Amino acid sequence: MSHHHGALSVEGLHVAYGEAQVLFDVHLTVPPGGLVACVGRNGAGKTTLLRTIAGFLRPRAGQVRYGDVDLVGRKPYELARMGIRYVQQDKRVFADLTVRENLRLASSATGDWDWDAVFRYFPRLKALLDRKGGYLSGGERQMLMIGRALLGRPKVLLVDEPTEGLAPAVVEQLGGVFQELKGQATILLVEQNLPLVGRVADKVYAVKEGRVVAEITDREAIRSAAVEAYL
Amino acid sequence: MDANLWVSGVVYGLSMGSIFFLLAAGLSLCFGLMRIISLDQLLYYSLGAYVAYQVNVATGLTWPAMVCGALAAGALSWVVERWVFDRIYAREITFTMITSFGILVAGVGAIKYVWGLVPRPMGIPVEAQVALLGVNVPVYRIIVIGVALAVYGLIQWVLNRTIVGTAIRAAVEDVDQVEGLGVDVYRLFTGTFVGAGMLSGLAGALHGPLVMVDPQMGLEVVPFVFMVVIIGGLGSLKGTLVSAFLVGQVVSLGSLIYAPLAQMAPFAAMLLILLWKPTGLYGSALLRR
Amino acid sequence: MNGRLRWWAGVLVPFALLAAGRWVLPLPFVVEVLIFSVYTMACNFLLGRVGFISFGQPAYLAAGAYGTAFYLYYFGRDPLVGILVGLASGAVFSALVGLVFVRLRSDYFALVNLALAVIVYHLMQKVLAPITKGDNGLWFLDRMSSTPLLDLARPDGFVWFAWLVAVGVWALYKYLDDTVFGACCLATKTNEDKVKFLGYHDFKVRWTAFVLANTTAALAGSLYGVYFGFVSPEMASAARAADPVVVTILGGTGTLYGPLVGAVAFVGMKDLVSGVVGNWEFFVGLLLVVIMLAGERGIWGTLEPWLRRRLVWRRPAPALQE
Repeated sequence: MSHHHGALSVEGLHVAYGEAQVLFDVHLTVPPGGLVACVGRNGAGKTTLLRTIAGFLRPRAGQVRYGDVDLVGRKPYELARMGIRYVQQDKRVFADLTVRENLRLASSATGDWDWDAVFRYFPRLKALLDRKGGYLSGGERQMLMIGRALLGRPKVLLVDEPTEGLAPAVVEQLGGVFQELKGQATILLVEQNLPLVGRVADKVYAVKEGRVVAEITDREAIRSAAVEAYL
Repeated sequence: MDANLWVSGVVYGLSMGSIFFLLAAGLSLCFGLMRIISLDQLLYYSLGAYVAYQVNVATGLTWPAMVCGALAAGALSWVVERWVFDRIYAREITFTMITSFGILVAGVGAIKYVWGLVPRPMGIPVEAQVALLGVNVPVYRIIVIGVALAVYGLIQWVLNRTIVGTAIRAAVEDVDQVEGLGVDVYRLFTGTFVGAGMLSGLAGALHGPLVMVDPQMGLEVVPFVFMVVIIGGLGSLKGTLVSAFLVGQVVSLGSLIYAPLAQMAPFAAMLLILLWKPTGLYGSALLRR
Repeated sequence: MNGRLRWWAGVLVPFALLAAGRWVLPLPFVVEVLIFSVYTMACNFLLGRVGFISFGQPAYLAAGAYGTAFYLYYFGRDPLVGILVGLASGAVFSALVGLVFVRLRSDYFALVNLALAVIVYHLMQKVLAPITKGDNGLWFLDRMSSTPLLDLARPDGFVWFAWLVAVGVWALYKYLDDTVFGACCLATKTNEDKVKFLGYHDFKVRWTAFVLANTTAALAGSLYGVYFGFVSPEMASAARAADPVVVTILGGTGTLYGPLVGAVAFVGMKDLVSGVVGNWEFFVGLLLVVIMLAGERGIWGTLEPWLRRRLVWRRPAPALQE
């Protein structure tokens, strides 16, 4: 693998909100440049997993590493600058900011002003530069969120439920984008849309009630959505 | 009633409102961005006035003295932010309110220790009067109004035209998202807090020549600043400006109509507004977190 | 039976200590502590049990004090009736005000209460000056008639009356903690944001708690009025607005003994430190910040586990924190 890629690995992760423990002894690995999906029902702890990797939650125990680098205990903005980028769920873009301001914010934080790289994946954004986030469609907002995260050449992309509530055509397009991104970044995708997962993922983890209950590496099993049996 | 009285009343009200605005703007920005209620702003207000007074006495300069007041207030707010607020941003609002009140009380105590209880008169930078609609009004009050408007314009310019402002507006909506983009939001917090502290200090320094500089001056304006913030809506800059001038006018013109009511009328108005809109004129329920 | 006995022991022991202090400590100090602890119990209940922080307690204090003062100055002479009138005026005042205030978000609630204190101050100082005599205040010390058993018109009788009232109020709040109502209050505290969606029931609980606590504050005001035989607008001054909040936090928010410990510490500090340094606010403010940063357990919250270890108390723990 090229020198700037490393594996994202999570070992023995325990996470709790106060008294309520959400994740129990989670282990997973995303190989360098690979795309791994996490599937599971609502409330299984998938978002908690991503938020912990991104630094927004501190694990009670366990390790998160990118290559040889320990990620636990770093602030979210430090991780983001290191290239660990988190694309939140619910398509939350800033309602009051234009697309241009959104991109500008990401560029100034990372020093990467190459917006053409973003427009290559999402040409539609170019026409929307002066529209405010609050007036974008769900699909456009998702494009903006992923596009923003691409600035700064991310090493790791943590993407939370990108296709939730989107039209099939947009899901189709996003699937293509993920396939293109594979190899350029190490991607951990939380997704409930099993056909999409079957199309893009190299490996799938099934998460249930805070635990990893299955690790599926067989391409055929992933493609045929056999994962569903574990949920 | 005499028209002259009305003109000078309006100018008086606008200048009061300007002071209120400078104080409340910082409070409101801190609430919007960090979700704190920083009562210690009133300490920076008092400190700004005292430092301006002291420099004025020592050097005889007036405007530079006021700049010194604002800077000293900013410096103190920086220390407080690093030592206290940095540890408690994540706590609920009442917690920050009580803690910052402790800072205010301790600070006022320290001021009494240094400068004593006796009110100090501060020199006015401009004694001249200017004719406005045939009425002589003090130039200094007009300058104060101008400063407040300039500050409002400056803040709006920063918020809407600079990258820092973009980050602040974004963080008011969703701090986590901004941090996820790689923005060091803690520096943003520190900057906003110190900026608010300097504005409070400037308010104190500007107010000094219009009142007496005394240890209780911070506590005396508390109710008015609260009221401005409540009527305008916590977190809204435009609302803060509108309500600051509104409150200034109600106090000033109210005293022309029926003196005993002047101090009370704005509070009654505030209660009515809250009955009608529980989050103030421009306060947004969306801002809750 | 044993439980009930222990319950009352929990009430009486601290107050017995304070009563014993009557012969050691100066009388004004004991009276001040007693009244202040009643005043603080209200604030402690609001802050610790319902989650309301109010910087406007002086408004309710003044409502009680002026109720008492109007009666004793214009109408009657019996201080006991005066206190009842003060209590009633406090209850009516807070019942009306509560209809609006209880609906507000906690941040607005704190700010609006302070504004109310300012309104009351100006009302008493200027607007109603013809009947309140403005800043001169109402003097009625020599108008009060003697009362049987305990002569309220004399300080050495009044101190025992204040003692009884404080014990009673304290027992009431201790009792409330164990009731369904107390549990409801705690529930509204933890779910403040959901109040809107829960609707009317929650409103009633909060309103009742609000009226109860502020009537207690009014009672403290009445006691001040009778004790000094004098009431002035100074009582509602915004500068004193945070005292009960400070004392609550000093003592330990939500703890039962907190208000008492806080009142002793606060009044003591006021009397002692101001004698030595002449500038006690500085220390009060500093202490407040330190307590908040150290985990907001207050003096009693910190002392209690320590005392428990030392004395091996067998009593069930007073509800500490939420």
